Amino acid sequence: MTLVRRVGTLLLAPALAVAIAVVISAVVMGLLGVSPVQVLKVMVDLGDTPSQQITAVVAILNRALPLFLAGLAVAIGFRMSLFNIGVEGQYRMATIMAATIGAAVALPAPLHIALIIVVAMAVGAIWAGIVAVLKVTRGVSEVISSIMLNFIALGLASYLLTGPFRGSPEGASIVSTAQIPESGRLGGLNGVFDVLGLANPPRQLYGFLLIAVVVGVVIWVLLQRTRFGFDLRATGLSPSAASASGVDARRMVVKTMLLSGAVAGLVGLPDLLGRTYEYSSDFTSGLGFLGIAVALLGRNNPGGIALAAILYAFLDRASVPLQSASLPSSVVTIIQGTIVLAVVVANEIAGRITRRAAERASRQSSGPPPDDSMTTRQVPGVVSEGTP
Amino acid sequence: MTESTPLAVELRGITKRFPGVVANSDIELRVARGEVHAIVGENGAGKSTLMKTLYGMHRPDEGQILVDGREVHLRSPNDAIAAGIGMVHQHFMLADNFTVLENIVLGSEPTKGGRLDRATARRRITEISDSYSLGLEPDALVEELGVGDRQRVEIAKVLYRGATILILDEPTAVLVPQEVDELFGNLAELKREGLTVIFISHKLDEVRKVADSITVIRRGTTVGTADPRTTTARQLAEMMVGAELPTPATRDSTVRETPVLRIDHLTVPGAPGSRAVVDDVSMTVREGEVVGIAGVEGNGQSELIDAVLGLRVPSAGTVVLGDEDITDWSTRQRREGGVGFIPEDRHRQGMLLEAPLWENRILGHQTRPPAVKGAFIDRKAAREDTARIMSEYDVRAPGPNTPAVALSGGNQQKLIVGREMSAHPRVLLAAHPTRGVDVGAQSVIWELLKDARAEGLGIVLVSADLEELIGLSDTLHVMLRGQLVATVDPRQVTPEELGGYMTGGHEATPAGAA
Repeated sequence: MTLVRRVGTLLLAPALAVAIAVVISAVVMGLLGVSPVQVLKVMVDLGDTPSQQITAVVAILNRALPLFLAGLAVAIGFRMSLFNIGVEGQYRMATIMAATIGAAVALPAPLHIALIIVVAMAVGAIWAGIVAVLKVTRGVSEVISSIMLNFIALGLASYLLTGPFRGSPEGASIVSTAQIPESGRLGGLNGVFDVLGLANPPRQLYGFLLIAVVVGVVIWVLLQRTRFGFDLRATGLSPSAASASGVDARRMVVKTMLLSGAVAGLVGLPDLLGRTYEYSSDFTSGLGFLGIAVALLGRNNPGGIALAAILYAFLDRASVPLQSASLPSSVVTIIQGTIVLAVVVANEIAGRITRRAAERASRQSSGPPPDDSMTTRQVPGVVSEGTP
Repeated sequence: MTESTPLAVELRGITKRFPGVVANSDIELRVARGEVHAIVGENGAGKSTLMKTLYGMHRPDEGQILVDGREVHLRSPNDAIAAGIGMVHQHFMLADNFTVLENIVLGSEPTKGGRLDRATARRRITEISDSYSLGLEPDALVEELGVGDRQRVEIAKVLYRGATILILDEPTAVLVPQEVDELFGNLAELKREGLTVIFISHKLDEVRKVADSITVIRRGTTVGTADPRTTTARQLAEMMVGAELPTPATRDSTVRETPVLRIDHLTVPGAPGSRAVVDDVSMTVREGEVVGIAGVEGNGQSELIDAVLGLRVPSAGTVVLGDEDITDWSTRQRREGGVGFIPEDRHRQGMLLEAPLWENRILGHQTRPPAVKGAFIDRKAAREDTARIMSEYDVRAPGPNTPAVALSGGNQQKLIVGREMSAHPRVLLAAHPTRGVDVGAQSVIWELLKDARAEGLGIVLVSADLEELIGLSDTLHVMLRGQLVATVDPRQVTPEELGGYMTGGHEATPAGAA
């Protein structure tokens, strides 16, 4: 198969999904008496001046970062047919712990940041590890236990925030942890714009972008190029075939959940290290659930997840301009929702199309069987004379 | 078969094409009313396609279908049922938690005032059951029935819908010999009542026993008809394959002294409260030896293989590979240590159907060259080695990137055999290595097993095909209820004797012996 065709089949399902979602959303907007064309215009309008446009791009990328990481965490589970719905709880726990510990210690900058990242990953992994342990020892479905742990995480986080981890003064309207000192903060990447000769926007492009790219590449290599990744994917495709091939299925569940949880632990860090420097009661929420949609749309492939995250971030960004244009910003939610529905349908359709194409190709190459091979390869065998 | 009675079913020049392949071409079939007509052919010859045409599941591209002398156009199974054609599928389509009555009426329920009219249903089912001696209990739950009873429910389901022509797709594949005899008794009843039965099979002895006439299909077309009274199974087989079959050759023993696999008093527990599924089994496999395990399916063969592979934890006993005790080893260690595996269900244990062939080449060999380099997968080498296996083992597919699901069963199996042989195992666990593959692939696989045996490989062969067991084995054990109950000399034993041991009655005349 040529590269063009391979990329074509890869993009087929997501493109189909987005197209279906746009059509359905347009119909819904039409029913609501909103002009879809106008909405589209507002959405793609990133601003009048170059400075505004770059600001919008930075906003999209900053939003896409946590979505990408959340999608990645979900996708790791999906690759072995584990549905980690618990990314939401995992990143909340990870972020509050990382914020608290980050604020409590004083270290040189690189070490300080590294410590915060390690803490976040460890907490995320531990929280996901509970799910894995319950699954392999007690057979509890990871879907159930990770949803339950989301509630526990949210409750626990607000208890910790209002109790032992509170850093904000008594009576403040927003309760938060103590601020992470300068050495634990990650600078922006706006220098890039100066180098490129572009306008430097007022908002900083998160430095975590570099780390996320590295994480994405590492996960891709791990899944696609290593033995561990092969075992993981094999277990996802067929648990019985994988265990017959020597994969320890239970150990694999634990490893995969730990990995997924560790990546989930990173989800809150772009905001924490680049903007808020504290965990608060109004910290970005819902990233774990959006991550499921992003992973689905990106077909569990890091590259696809990056594109899907940018698309979702692009849609999210549009809600403010839509409001200022006195259009309902909920169309963003409608489009995002229909994408999720459409992607499930489209994945199935695209899967069938590619499978049928492959079957056709293999039939053409295999049939009809050459006559001589049937006769010459006959060996002394065991077709009997029958019974007397 | 007189001139005046129209044929129950006549197919004239049926051709069915799928993209890139002609599944049926110019099929001619004449089935007289009131006979059992067998259609035989090897796997992939086009039997199923033909039956789907006759049952209205797809429409032929060319040709005519005549039922009772009138041309019919079958657009769906409903049309076929209306024309009096019913189908009993190989895989039962019954709701386990429903009663026999409920299953039979499902989809064509008699109603009274909008509610299921159980009394009418019961009366009709009892009528059907009595007139064809099906012995059905309308209120029994299907999940409590055995395989033979379930099959009779399927037959009753078809009869309930007024079918006069019954298509039975490989009906004996799931039955033990005694049940096969019962089925044949039922078919005789159906025939006596004037119904027509089309019986699809590739088991030639059975076909000769039950059929009144036989049509042979080869490579999508009918190659002829045969009279079971005057045709031998061998002649039929030759018609099916289109070539003369060689006789089973006597072979020199290649058994050496060194044991490669020793199983000592191995016991695998069953579900709590039930007997052990593998019960105190001891056996030795030496280099160059094929140790066959005969037995009716479900007597612990699969569990024994699983235990040797490390997929099941034994409660007692040891497994020794070469001179190392591997009882506590993981599956991966065992596979690295030289245990090859051809699973009985290749889709469940042997393949990743959605993955490309080169990834399937790696499966089971994730820790060994050529597929891996350290912790990384060597994609290039894996692809190259897959291409090598494909050419050496005659796997017909476009290339290593083809997904496994696109291959026919025979080609999938050849890939598995090639993959396992390429790792040069010391012991090969081969469970039903030729199940569901065509005759061509079957011969190739037998040949490969024999070559490997000659080179010193020890093979544990589990099979339901008694001829295969007798033909390939050097030592033959019989497994019954988890135990090895007999060891026989494959050079002396007949399939009939073997059948007797398998069912527990040494003296009993096994079913299948006419």
